[in-house]
Order: sequence, then structure tokens, then C-alpha cells
Amino acid sequence: MTEARATPLPADTALVEVRGLRTVLGGKTIFDGLELDIPRGKIVAIMGPSGTGKTTLLRHITGQLMPDAGTIHVDGQNVPTLSRSALFALREKIGFLFQNSALLTDFSVFENVAFPLRQHLKLPEELVRNIVLTKLQAVGLRGAAELMPSELSGGMARRVALARAMIRDPMLILYDEPFVGLDPVALNQVLKLIRTLNDTLGLTSVLVAHEFAAVERAADLIYLIASGKVVARGTPAELARGESAWTKQFFGGDADGPVPFQYPARDYAVDLGFPARASSTDTRSTTGVA
Amino acid sequence: MTQQRRSYQIGTGLFILFGFAALAYLATQTTSLANFRQGDSYFLKARFTNIGQLKLRAPVKLAGVRIGSVESIALDATKLDAQVRISIDKHFTEIPDDSAAAIFTSGLLGDQYVGIQPGGSPDMFKDGDEFVLTQSSMQLEDLIGKFLVNGSPQKPAPDAAAPGSAGTKPVEEPAATSNPPKH
Amino acid sequence: MSEAGKQSSPQQPSMIGDALAQVGACGLFLLQILAAIPRSLRHFKETVRQIWFVGAMSLVIIMTCGLFVGMVLGLQLYYVLAKFGSTAASGTVVALALYRELGPVVTALLFAGRAGTSITAEIGLMRATDQLSAMEMMAVDPLEYVVAPRFIAGIVAMPLLVCVFNALGVLGAHAVGVSWLGIDNGTFWSNMTESVDVWTDVINGVWKSVAFGAVCTLIATFQGYTTPPTSEGVAYATTRTVVFSSIAVLALDFVMTAFLM
Repeated sequence: MTEARATPLPADTALVEVRGLRTVLGGKTIFDGLELDIPRGKIVAIMGPSGTGKTTLLRHITGQLMPDAGTIHVDGQNVPTLSRSALFALREKIGFLFQNSALLTDFSVFENVAFPLRQHLKLPEELVRNIVLTKLQAVGLRGAAELMPSELSGGMARRVALARAMIRDPMLILYDEPFVGLDPVALNQVLKLIRTLNDTLGLTSVLVAHEFAAVERAADLIYLIASGKVVARGTPAELARGESAWTKQFFGGDADGPVPFQYPARDYAVDLGFPARASSTDTRSTTGVA
Repeated sequence: MTQQRRSYQIGTGLFILFGFAALAYLATQTTSLANFRQGDSYFLKARFTNIGQLKLRAPVKLAGVRIGSVESIALDATKLDAQVRISIDKHFTEIPDDSAAAIFTSGLLGDQYVGIQPGGSPDMFKDGDEFVLTQSSMQLEDLIGKFLVNGSPQKPAPDAAAPGSAGTKPVEEPAATSNPPKH
Repeated sequence: MSEAGKQSSPQQPSMIGDALAQVGACGLFLLQILAAIPRSLRHFKETVRQIWFVGAMSLVIIMTCGLFVGMVLGLQLYYVLAKFGSTAASGTVVALALYRELGPVVTALLFAGRAGTSITAEIGLMRATDQLSAMEMMAVDPLEYVVAPRFIAGIVAMPLLVCVFNALGVLGAHAVGVSWLGIDNGTFWSNMTESVDVWTDVINGVWKSVAFGAVCTLIATFQGYTTPPTSEGVAYATTRTVVFSSIAVLALDFVMTAFLM
């Protein structure tokens, strides 16, 4: 359940394989030798403290961001080496749910969901209509087809975005923080949708989230990322037991632990203008914590 | 949505039409193109010793009314004068063949044009005819030169012997109606 | 983790270096747009929609301003030319001033203010709300679907707007000069038609406006596309669009005038 156990699953079952991923963004090392596998047909949650690059990982998988080193195989293709057209072909098979839904503000709900169809396939209008309405029905928003995105609540917008993400029946759906800002009812709806869609359509889902309570109910497998590496891996039940310092802090909710409360700073006393004491106690990680 | 899209397309089409209409209006109504509306025309020739600032497409006027334009300007290599081809609208066929062509300036410093002073001959110009009587462009410098020498432009020197008056060029008095062509 | 936060802020580049980098990035962006244009032709409907937003929606302001500019020119020229007794030339001067300079330049400045800012704000907000990323994820290139149609729309719309502006300007000058101040109608038009040339005046002005349309939309789309994805970033980008477009238009106007004369 920890790094040591992260042996690769049989190659034919992993849809996404990340090996030796190293990324430096703006002088900050985001990933340093990250390795993970996302098996087919499962819901995999990626968790970790803010700023560990969970969203960056999704952007690597879709080829929006190139890593400094390492390979990312999606369905057998190494994403960083793909040509533009091959990358676009791959993306057509991936659905992506953005944190803020990212609906196109110019278009109605119907046109938003129909957008990928219209862009890539020349289908008769009647067929487009049927496909779109089917997907909207699946997310329970068939009645909202003619609304504009500005008229939707956050939960509804996310469900529309979900309908759009799965309109082309992708093999993989990536969810970027799907639960943020949702009330409990909307959260449960989205949660149920993710689970149902994955099971009924035979998708593979990757979930980036903070809410352990929600993730616990949906995910088959959880990766905990911190300091640019996978620090824990296992089923929700395994991680909830919290056997390492990381899982204890993250799932047990301790304020301090391997993830420091204090942002790296100069000596506290010096900052406050006191004369620097030669061997002052380390004020960095303890002082100031209420 | 499709309805909306369609209205965009119609509106855009109207906008483009409107823009081109404006361009057509500018090009045909406010520029010299407006003066090209002489459908069929016939051509006359005229020789001038000096055409001054006369340009291609400059208007040709009779009694101040535009009847045609300057078609081409060329130097006759043997006679060393300017040969100007004039196109005249087919409607104006009744121009006596002893009419005179002169180069005038519109206003004090304006563009130059060819003015036709009708004669009294019973015969009319035909396509390809040449003006017998022409009067060259007035050169402002020459006028000023005369003025300085004689004290007044009203008293033109009987011959062009005055030192300042560019003796090599025959200068016509403004009022002269004819200048026998030097053949 | 703790190492990452210690990064000092990158050294501030000089103003000139900054400006050069911007210009260079903008030039590269232009190349990207040009490369995307052939592929964007299949988004014909989107291009039409953008011509509507960029062109047709600017029509009212362009027409109003054209009319007033023409009227003011007519009035001022009448006042000046009356001193020389040549008020009849006012039509000519208005037409030449409009076709050669004022039409393209004023229209481009208005365009930058009206259409340029809305392009920047729109693309900037699409960036800020991940709509551009969403398009990339749906295997739709935003350069191809968002930027190139707007760029084409700017190039198509600007000359048409300039023609409308010029036409209204001439009519405005006519209204003031002929209907109000009593210049003879025939003299007004004949003076104009005799001195204005289609190619050197009208069409050269149209070429200018094509270039201005390209520059204004290039700057607007560039600023929108590269804006920091925050509301503050979008606000600054919009301002920069107006400032840079105005400078670019006036500088380019000088260069083009020197070459087209």
C-alpha cells in the first residue's frame, strides 16, 4: 500500500502508465520520478495536498503539458512523443471534466454537449439531437437543453460538462476536482453519476479530489501524491487505516506532519526584528501553530 | 440555435453587401471614375508646344461642360511637340472642325484641362481628326517673367525678344484664340 | 517541498527587453495564426459569426463617427478655405483627407476600442474559465476555432467599415457644406470627382485598412490569448489592446503612407 508495493500491474490491464515522470514548472519541481498505473475499468482517485500537481498530472496525461523527463503511456501510446494529429486523435478518446466546468459561454447547453460531435463528425441533425438528448437524460438535464451556461447552478454546469465529456463515448474520463463547491445533494448526484457511468459504459475514470469522504465511496484505488512522488497507494479502506505518516496526516486530518503547516520562511525571530540568537530553536515548524 | 445562427449569417451578408455598396459609392460617385461614364466616344488629336501639367484622364471641356478626357500624351520625336489624344463622348458630334483646343488651368493653381473653343465651320470633326488651332499651356513662370520686364502683363511684348521671357518657347497671350500649328 | 518555495522571483527584465519579447511573441503568434488559417476554413460559420460581431456590430458607432468627422471637417475647411475664396474645394479636401488618412486611421482606432477590447476580453475570459483548455481537450485547436476566425473577420470587416465611414463622412461634409453653408452642389461634387482618384486615393485607403484590420485583431487576440487567467489580467490585457493597437496603427500608418505615396 506504500511506494514499495507500487509494482506495475500486468501491462495489458493498465490504460495509463506513468514512468519516471519529472516536471519543473517555473523553477519549481512538481514531479520527481513519479510512477503510477491506472488500470482499465477502474475509478482511480489521485489525492494529495494542494499544490502537489494533481491537475498537472492530468494535463500530462492529455498532452497539454510536456514533462521534462519520463514517459506517459496512454493506451499504449507515449503521449510526449506524439505528433499533433496523433495527440488530437488520442484526445478524442478522452473526456475531461474541468474544475469550473468550462462550458462555452456562447452556446446553449444543447450546443455545448453537441460541440464535440459537430466539430469532429458530420452527423445528420436528427442523430446529433438524439445522442445529445440521451446524454443529457443520463445526467438528468434533458429539460435544461435550451438554457445558457450562465443560467445553470454549479452542480448543473458540472453535470452538463460531464455529459459533454462523455458524448463521444471515451475510453477514459479525467475528473479535475469534480466535488469542489457542490452542496451535499449535488455532490451525491455527481458522485453517483461517476460511479454509474464508469460501471455501465465500461470507462476508466481518474478522479482528482480532496474530499476523502466522497472519494471513499467512488474510488477503487487511491494514489496519494506528495513532494512529487507517490507516497501511498491502495484501496480506500487500506488508506483509511493510515499506516504511514503521510496517510495519517492526510486522512486523519492532523494540522502538521510531513506536510508542513508553515511555508518555508526565514527565521521567525529575525523577521520580527529581534537580534538573531546564535543557536535559536527552530521556530519554523512549531511556533505560530495555534 | 440554428435559427439564431441563420440570422447571424443573414446579418453578416447584409453587412458585407452594405460595405461593398459603400465602396462602390465612393469609387464611382466621388472619384474621377464618375467622369468615365462616357460610353462610346471618338478620338481627336491635338498638338501642343507645351502641355504644362496636363495629365492623363484630365477633362476636356467645351463651354465649361465636360465632354471627354485626355486619352494619351506622347512626344512627337520628329516635330518635338506634344501629341495629345482626346476622347470625346459620342453625344457631342457637332463640333466644328475649325475649333481650337487650348490648355487651361482651373482656378489659379488648379489642375489643367483641355478647353475647346468652337469655331464657325459648317463641317464637323470626325473620328481621328486633328485640331488645327491649338494653344499651349500658360507657364506661370513666363507670365511672371513678362510682368517683371514690361511692368504689366497687359502690355505684351510684340515679339518674344524680351530677355526674361524664355525666348525659345513661343508664349501665347492669354486672350489669343489661335496659334497656327507649326507644321 | 520546502525547496520549491525558496525560488526568488525571476530577475526583472528591462523595459526594452520586455517590449521586444512582447513584439517577438506577437510575431510568432501571427505565424501560428497564419498556419491555422487553412485549417480554420472549415469553421466557416464561426467566421461568419465573428464578422457579424466584429463588423456589423461596429457599424453604428462607425457610421455615427464618420458622419460627425465629415461634418466637422466640412465646417473647419469651409472656415479656412473661405479666407482664400476657395470654399468650393472643401469637398475635395474632405474626400482626400478621409480616403487617404482619417477614414482608415479613425476607423482602426474605433475598431480597437470597440471590437478589439471585446475580442481580448472574450478570449481572456475563455482562457480564465478554461474554455480554451476544454477545446484543446475536445481535440479542437483554439487557434483554429477561436483565434483564426476572429483574425479573418477583422481583415474582412475593417475595409468595409472604412468604406462606410468614408461614405458617411463625405455625406456629412456635403450636408454641412452644401445644405448649410451654401456651397454649390455641382461644384462640390465636380471638384471632388476631378481631384480624387480611385486607385491612389480610395483603393490605397482600403489597403491601409486591411493592414490595420490585421494588426488590430492580431493584437487583440494575442493579448486575450496570452493574458494571465485572472480578472485583473483580463482587465490589463484589454487596456493593453487599446494602447498597443493605437500605437501600432499610427506607426504603421506612417510607414504605409511613405510606401504607398
